[in-house]
Parts: sequence; structure tokens; C-alpha cells
Amino acid sequence: MTHIPIDLQYATSEQPDARPPIAALRNVFKVFGDVVAADQLNLSIAPGEFLSFLGPSGCGKTTALRMLAGFEAPTSGEVLIDGQVVNTIEPYGRPVNMVFQSYALFPHMNVADNIGYGLRQRRPRLARAEIARKVGRALEIVRLTGFEKRRVWEMSGGQQQRVALARAIVNEPKLLLLDEPLAALDRKLRKEMQIELQDLQRQIGITFVLVTHDQEEALSLSDRICVMREGRIIQTGDPQNLYDHPKSRYVADFVGTSNFIDGRVEHVADGVATLATPSGLRLQGAANAGLKAGDEACLSVRPEQIHMHRDAAPGSLPGTVHNRIFLGEHTEYLVQQPALGSLNVLAPRQGQPDDLSFQTGEPVHINWNPARALVLSPD
Amino acid sequence: MRIYAFCVYLFLYTPIAIIALFSFNAGRHASQLQGFSVQWYVRAFRNPFVMDALETSLIVAFVSATLASVLGTLAAVGLQTMRGPARAVFDGVIYVAIMIPGIVIGIATLIALVTVFDVLNPLLASLWFEDRQPPRLSMGIGSLIAAHTMFTMALVIVIVRARLASLEQVLGEASADLYATPLATFMQVTLPLIAPAILAGFLLSFTFSFDDFIIAFFVAGSETTLPIYVFSSIRRGVTPEINAIGTIVMVASLLLLIIAQLILRRRPER
Repeated sequence: MTHIPIDLQYATSEQPDARPPIAALRNVFKVFGDVVAADQLNLSIAPGEFLSFLGPSGCGKTTALRMLAGFEAPTSGEVLIDGQVVNTIEPYGRPVNMVFQSYALFPHMNVADNIGYGLRQRRPRLARAEIARKVGRALEIVRLTGFEKRRVWEMSGGQQQRVALARAIVNEPKLLLLDEPLAALDRKLRKEMQIELQDLQRQIGITFVLVTHDQEEALSLSDRICVMREGRIIQTGDPQNLYDHPKSRYVADFVGTSNFIDGRVEHVADGVATLATPSGLRLQGAANAGLKAGDEACLSVRPEQIHMHRDAAPGSLPGTVHNRIFLGEHTEYLVQQPALGSLNVLAPRQGQPDDLSFQTGEPVHINWNPARALVLSPD
Repeated sequence: MRIYAFCVYLFLYTPIAIIALFSFNAGRHASQLQGFSVQWYVRAFRNPFVMDALETSLIVAFVSATLASVLGTLAAVGLQTMRGPARAVFDGVIYVAIMIPGIVIGIATLIALVTVFDVLNPLLASLWFEDRQPPRLSMGIGSLIAAHTMFTMALVIVIVRARLASLEQVLGEASADLYATPLATFMQVTLPLIAPAILAGFLLSFTFSFDDFIIAFFVAGSETTLPIYVFSSIRRGVTPEINAIGTIVMVASLLLLIIAQLILRRRPER
């Protein structure tokens, strides 16, 4: 294989923001019984950013959010909001608001009373007219003007979701916390609400912290994503950075889909690792920091980085099309490669004449740019 | 099977139906119907003893049901926040209070109150100036209210607990998140949502207290409630007047029970 210079440029989003953070976690631990739900969380949230906690259920993402809201107190460490340690401040004393997964709208109040609830708790009291004006404005923002007198349980899921949003943003919180807010909506509505959420966040400029297990949601909405696992933040970065430069197989697997090829590192030079597979192949990829010769590792190649050809090319590997799924603008192939097993390949349709689409059972040759492959520690 | 069930209902409700029927009897004798009349109702309402007993019963039922509703609701809310074995113990004790036969509660309350009065009365007497008449605690409307409150409070707790358990806990969190203190959350979210259960508990308590004979018999002292009046007049023979009183009490109780059920069954607001 020819040596290809690998571009090891990392995005700068992990660098601390110059502005003071609006909220932060400092060495936060949370233990429930013998379960560690938060394991040394360190995080600064910049004003106005859209941050997501992404991970499977039980990874501690909701615990992190609930510690920001004040429903859980950290076992040790500090939670800061607007420069103040808020560990001992009750939820009702914190300038944050939450949108709950189940919305948690008050069933005995109409839409306007639900939205005005937080405003009515203010002391000194706000004038009625002022509350009505703010509620009207919030309804306008979530496009529910005219729904003031509706009973909440008469509304659709999407509308309830917007009422829940309005009830939170009307208070102009320092942080808006969203706990899987779109999980209860159907797919189409979820897409719509994602766009609305993003617009809303740009429009009002409040810092959003979202918890989700849906990588697509996190990728499409967030400025920055914290990938969590077993109570720890294992990687933080902007969506593209996480997708292109995952630091572990776990992140590569959780953020997007990837093909993984196990092997052992033969040598590392200039940031390029050569991986020997059990079947005797030598594969190259950008080396994860800390990898050295002899380490167990795996090579990660995104399905869209694998190219398929009818004829052999230098460095290409032979295989057979095992399955083909037509997805409109893309076609997804499952290619069986004798030494590597099944590989997912995503081929764009654009610019490809019809005769170039491959049929099931057809022999093909595959290759990829080693600069686009990553050698990662197996975990 | 159907015939069997029919017989059971016949056995249960025939006496009640007969009482209602004969309360409208124009004649004096329970053996024969002599045409329709409301004279026994008129007589019952003109009888000062009946009216006195009714007044006592209404006061006791209203005050004890009110106390039971307030105390029972507070207890239910408190229990809701409890965890672990202590909660299980309290839950058990509440159900026991409902299941214990009235006669046991009656005797136990009587003994307890008499014992307490025996201790307190000399104490009170010693605190008063010698030339004044010290107050004497004794059985009466107070002990009636106390005994009924204790018994019906358990009912209110069970009903309110069921409602509280069906409330989403996240509503309390949402309220706290929206700057409401625990007290404000209770007043603005919890209380309005459990209000139907409290009202139903009040109505049930009222009915139980109003209808109760056994406990009242032990602790009423010289007071006469309507059931006690009915009991004592029966010893002089069942008159159509008693039938009329019985019918009124039955209809009123049934109405209250039905209203309570309707309130509890009303579609919970999502």
C-alpha cells in the first residue's frame, strides 16, 4: 500500500471557551446505593450553546441533567450555575427550567395557566397584565397563539410538547434542560420538532442542555455532544468532530454506524497505524492517541468511505455483494469479504449511471482511503 | 345460579323494601297495608326527640367528617413521602382500623376515654380556684366526635392515598422546577388534584358517622344520636314512624354514597 499522509487535524471545540461558563460540573460523583451514576463529571457549558448528553439508557445522562436541575444532589463535587455553587440550592431556587419527557403539564390548569405557573411564583408578584403579556409572547414563539383557554389533555402530543416548552422558556432561564423531550413523538413529528427546537434556541438565545439516546437527534441539534458511558463522559466534541474523530470504538459505534475490523497494531509511524488482522491482512488507518505496536486494536471505516469497483484496483480487496437495500439517494450494500467478513457500504446514487449499481451475488472490489479509516483501541 | 343469586338479593333487600313500603302506610299496623300516607313522616318531623337526635347526629357527622378529612389528608400526604418499613407498618395499621369491628372500637374508645378522664379530671380540679366549679370532662358529643373522627380518618386516608398514588410524581418536580416552594406546590398542584378524593372521603365519613350505632352507643354518654333513638324506640315496638325515619336515613345515606362514588369515578383529568 502506498503511504498516504493523514490529516490529523482535530476540531478546536474542546478548547475552553473564553467566556465564563453559564454552568459547570466540577469533579461530580453521584452514587445510588452501589451504582455509580456519575463518575467524575467535568464539564463547562458555554452561554448560548446547545449541548447534548448522548448515551444509552443507564449511562448517567439523566442523572447529570437532574443534578443541574437540582432534583439530585451530587455525592461529591460541585455543580455551578452562573458562577455560583448550587449544590445545596433546591430546584425552586435555581434559575433553570426543565422540559420533562412526559411533559408533566398540570392537568387541572388550562394552557395559559400552565405556562404562567412559573411567573406566578415570582416574589414580588408580577402584575397580571405582565404575566398575560409574557404568556402570550411564549405562545407566539411556540406557534400556539389562541390556545390559551384549551385544556391540556385535549391537545395532541406535539402541542403538549410545545406547551411544555413555552412553560419553561417563558421564565427566561439561564439553562433550559430537556429530558428526552421528543421521545414520545412519532417520527415525522419528531423531525418537525427538532427543527423547531433549533430555531427556537437561535431565536431566544437560551443555553439548551438536551439528554437523548438518539444519536441522530444529538447530531442534528447540538453544538456540542458529550458521549456518556457508565456514568462517565468519554468524549466531548462538536457533531462532526465526534463523527470523524471518535476516540474509541464505543463512540464510533454510538455516533453513526461503522465497520469494525479487529486486529493487532504492528507499528505506528507519523500517526499512521498498521493493523494486522487475524486473517493476515495489513490495513492502515489514522492511529488513535496512545496506541503502540502490539496493542489489540480495531480499524473503523464508515460505510460511506468504502468504495466499490467492478475491476481490481491497487490495494483493493475482492468481495461479493450479499445484500442490497435501495434507499433512494443512497444504496446500502452488504459486501461479504473472505478475510474481513460482512462490511456495510453506503454508495451515493448521485452521478452514478444505472449500470454502475451492483446486483446481489455480483463479485466486486472494495477499497477505502486509509486516511479516512481510524485505528482505535478496542474499547 | 341465577335463581340462587336472585334469592340472595331477595333475602337482602326485602326487609328494606318492606320498611320503605310501610313507612307510607296509612294504618298503624305492620300487618296490613291501608292506603298511602305521609303522616308518619310528618309525625317524625314533629317529634322533638327525633329532631334533637337528628341535630346531634348531623353535628357529630359534620364535625367528625370535617376533622377526618383534614387530618386524613395530611396523614395521607405525609405517608406518601415515607419510605421503607415504617410506611408498611402505618399502612397496615390503617387497614386494621377499618377492619376492626365497631364494637371493639366502641369498647376500646370507651375504656381509653374513661381512663384519660380519670387522670385529667382531678388534675383539672387541682388547677382551678377552689371557689369555682372546675370543668369536668365526660362522655358526650365531644367523645362521639373524637371516636368517629378516629374511625373515619382511616377511610379518608385510604381514599386520598389511592388518588395520590395515581398522581404523577413528576408533576411535583415540574412545580418545584417552576420555582414553587413545597407549600406552594401542595396548594397549587397536589391539593386541587386530590380534592375530589377528599370530598368523596368527607361524604363517606359523614355517612359512616351518621349511620353508626355501635360506636356511638358506647361513647355517647347522655347524648342521643338518631340511630340510638331508633334503637331505644324499637324496644317499645316498631312504629311506622321508625319506618319513616329509617327510610329517610337510608335514602340520604345512599345519595351521599352515590355522590361519593360519582366523584371518585369521574374521569381523572388525564
